[in-house]
Amino acid sequence: MTDHDEPHDDARRTDDTRRTDDTRRTDEPLVSVRGLEKYYYEQDTLIDRLLRNDPVSIKAVDGVDFDVYPGETLGVVGESGCGKSTTAETLMRLREPTGGSVTFDGEEVFEMDGDRLSEFRKRAQVMFQDPFSSLDPRMTAGQIVREPLEIHGVGTREERRERAADLLERVGLSADQTDRYPHEFSGGQRQRIGFARALALEPEFIVLDEPVSALDVSVQAQVLNLLSDMQAEFDLTYLFIAHDLSVVRHICDRVAVMYLGEVVEVGPVDEIFENPDHPYTEALLESVPRADTDERDREVTALRGDVPSPRNPPSGCSFRTRCPKVIPPDEVDLPQKSYTDVTTLRNRIEREGLDLEFVWEFAGDPDREDTAAFKETMREEMFDSFDADFAGEDAAVMDEAFDALAAGEVETAAEILRERYASVCEAVNPELPDSTHPAACHLRDQPADVREAVAAWEADDGAAAGGAVGDGAPAEDAGSSAD
Amino acid sequence: MVDDDIPSTVATSEEDLLRVEDLETRFFTEEGQVNAVDGVSFAVRESDVFGIVGESGSGKSVTALSLLDLVESPGRITGGHIWYRNADLAEEHRERTPEAVDGDFVDVLQLSEGQRRALRGPSFSMIFQDAMSAFNPSLTVGEQIAEAVEVQRRAEANPRSVRSKTQGYGLGSYLSGLVLPQRDFVNRQSKLEAIELLEKVGIPDPAERADEYPSQFSGGMLQRAMIAMALAGEPDVLVADEPTTALDVTIQAQILNLLKDLQAETDMSIVLITHNLGVVARMCDRVGVMYAGEIVERGTLEDVFDDPVHPYTQGLLGSVPDLDRPGDRLHPIKGNVPDLIDSHMDDRCYFADRCPKAMERCLDPPGERQVGGEHAARCVLVDGEYDESEALADGYFEGSTAGDAAASEGSTADAAAEEATSDD
Ligand SMILES: Nc1ncnc2c1ncn2[C@@H]1O[C@H](COP(=O)(O)OP(=O)(O)OP(=O)(O)O)[C@@H](O)[C@H]1O
Ligand code: SF4
Ligand code: SF4
Ligand SMILES: [Mg+2]
Repeated sequence: MTDHDEPHDDARRTDDTRRTDDTRRTDEPLVSVRGLEKYYYEQDTLIDRLLRNDPVSIKAVDGVDFDVYPGETLGVVGESGCGKSTTAETLMRLREPTGGSVTFDGEEVFEMDGDRLSEFRKRAQVMFQDPFSSLDPRMTAGQIVREPLEIHGVGTREERRERAADLLERVGLSADQTDRYPHEFSGGQRQRIGFARALALEPEFIVLDEPVSALDVSVQAQVLNLLSDMQAEFDLTYLFIAHDLSVVRHICDRVAVMYLGEVVEVGPVDEIFENPDHPYTEALLESVPRADTDERDREVTALRGDVPSPRNPPSGCSFRTRCPKVIPPDEVDLPQKSYTDVTTLRNRIEREGLDLEFVWEFAGDPDREDTAAFKETMREEMFDSFDADFAGEDAAVMDEAFDALAAGEVETAAEILRERYASVCEAVNPELPDSTHPAACHLRDQPADVREAVAAWEADDGAAAGGAVGDGAPAEDAGSSAD
Repeated sequence: MVDDDIPSTVATSEEDLLRVEDLETRFFTEEGQVNAVDGVSFAVRESDVFGIVGESGSGKSVTALSLLDLVESPGRITGGHIWYRNADLAEEHRERTPEAVDGDFVDVLQLSEGQRRALRGPSFSMIFQDAMSAFNPSLTVGEQIAEAVEVQRRAEANPRSVRSKTQGYGLGSYLSGLVLPQRDFVNRQSKLEAIELLEKVGIPDPAERADEYPSQFSGGMLQRAMIAMALAGEPDVLVADEPTTALDVTIQAQILNLLKDLQAETDMSIVLITHNLGVVARMCDRVGVMYAGEIVERGTLEDVFDDPVHPYTQGLLGSVPDLDRPGDRLHPIKGNVPDLIDSHMDDRCYFADRCPKAMERCLDPPGERQVGGEHAARCVLVDGEYDESEALADGYFEGSTAGDAAASEGSTADAAAEEATSDD
């Protein structure tokens, strides 16, 4: 078994480096996902319809594109709730898609039926996260592994039995454990059983949804090595979903980064980790604590706030409410941090609802008389260096906006700020261009239609600032939640 | 079942705020006696962060609960001392319970239950992994934090209370004069302080959020709220059990930054419990590595991360993929964490069944040995190098209860990889 110890990962990596020099890959993808959408609807019951409540759509997966090439491991990363699992389950036809297409080995997955669907279900497998609930507690390890063979009528009874025993041995369990039940195994061993089951039908493609995140680190390492060994032995292609970036860097050849139902960056693993192009990827990487004694002194700027609710996604770039690099309009010349502070204030006003009462309290004047104190509080609390950075027109505009807020005129304040500070990031939705390492960000190369929309918005700016171009909700809509 | 206790020789320091000695906590369950904490010793300095790191089931949480005396039946603290330095408290007890006092230190385990309870809040406070379970779902977040503030106020009014608080929490008295007529809180002042605490832990629009219920908070927000609640008592020691495990990395970064800032500002000591070596490296000054109810290695962060001597520590560090230096094959530890049931635990080094360097002499329980300075480990390798001629035969533990599941867990390939690398 020592031949497994060859670090074949390295061979794959060299491969990748070569690939990235080309602009396009020449080999055909095994799995190709285009414009995949999965929406859920809330307030869509009969009562809601009678009450004329508009259904609220939750775009769990909102136009996802990626390819998985034969023999590679594509990692999918992103914060919880960003749509990783929904993407995988939809592409495997475990959930009904709302839109888009998936091809597997050139065939349209969503149009398969009968034998072709059954064939797909053999060639593509899923292994889930939780080693404690994903196995049927009433079946023995052997039965669990045999079941898919029985469903697909593969081999004779005796052959199935042999195959199951062989698979269990390959994943590191012993023959005398075949007749044990899941509760008699540890978490790592259960993941091995789940993996043996996924291998039973000799698939080409396996979706691994957080396969090691419930495991202890020492056991996690055992399972990761096993996954690598089996991939080499059986020529497997993996879609590897994980939130642990160290694990992803270790096992993946390419990585797709998801945010709020969209893929925001895809690329070869080393490029993603060493030269991330999307500000979100950068922030994710920065947040991971390294197991290293230098870690204490590493300066980490944490992203502000939470991921916005998918019920009310931001217009334009979905990351813009937290992006430290959000792009100022040409005529604004503020240091980036101060401009980001302005967008943060605008988000508080337009999206999150700024608690004016608290600001007054904070200013020590709950009777709302001392406007100067109110404004002082706003400058101090919401900005890092207001006095140093804001001068001339910027100081005047901010002053006007603070006056409006002090008077309780939230919508007016929102408009004043929008007019001067609206960013291309909220107006135009950036997309993934067609390249080996694309990023959906206006700071990077963008497809022609996005560039046109940006140009149109810029031409239109000044006068009608805030009017959204592209497919994002108009900024005005988002602003209506202000009070 | 406890090893022949060589008295701990590890240097203690003047700055120690907490000295835990030979702490033992057991659960008396139907399956048998679980030795969850089995002779644990460590010291926490003032304004220091002490990390306890280990895998699932190693006894980290039970250690944390023991520090706050929160172990519930069928569990019980069955031995050891928790020396807490507090001059006022020592003065109070010097006459009445002299055996519980040593200089400025008081052994909280020898105080009455009521006295120990009074320390919760002003002296020791805890945050949990699962923030949701720490809150009552039917009360607003503000009410619950106000309640904690109230408890603290009562403690302060109590003449037997702990040290007088000199440090304030920054935002000061900006809220004085505030009128909040309709809100129905324990006490207006406590509510104001609760809002102040929420603001302090970075919750936007805290006055509004205070009136919301726990279920209306996101995971990160609730974690912040729990930290706010734990800070209400201005504790000397904050015990944080996996405070970021349930969170996404970006939110984890926020919470870790918050804890760092708060710690710098308030000078409290933190006992940080985690299985994440990165979190330890980011936060801790000193570390204890826990395995099977014991601290098997401890020292400064540098001692443990750069010069680990215990094979378990080495294995743990070798198991984590490195974000910045990828590519190498991982070197897992074979087998699994034992279940800590007394009758399953042979009287030996508990790691021997998984240890690539197990020898004859490891079959006697190794006591803690000093490596140098504050660095100590429970391993015979501290005394002398690995001797192959003494190695235990392959499969030595197979068939024994504890080693059973473990032996088959590491695949042959893993074991081979382990051997191949253990020599260089
Ligand atoms: N209430 C209880 N009753 C019985 N046994 C318990 C109880 N609580 C903990 N134990 C046992 O004590 C041992 C140590 O558990 P503990 O929760 O401290 O581990 P841990 O290191 O915190 O693990 P994790 O990383 O999973 O949180 C385990 O064997 C556990 O089963
Ligand atoms: S498009 Fe704008 S907001 Fe979005 S990531 Fe790029 S810079 Fe940030
Ligand atoms: S005492 Fe022996 S078995 Fe235990 S860790 Fe040290 S070398 Fe390994
Ligand atoms: Mg725990």
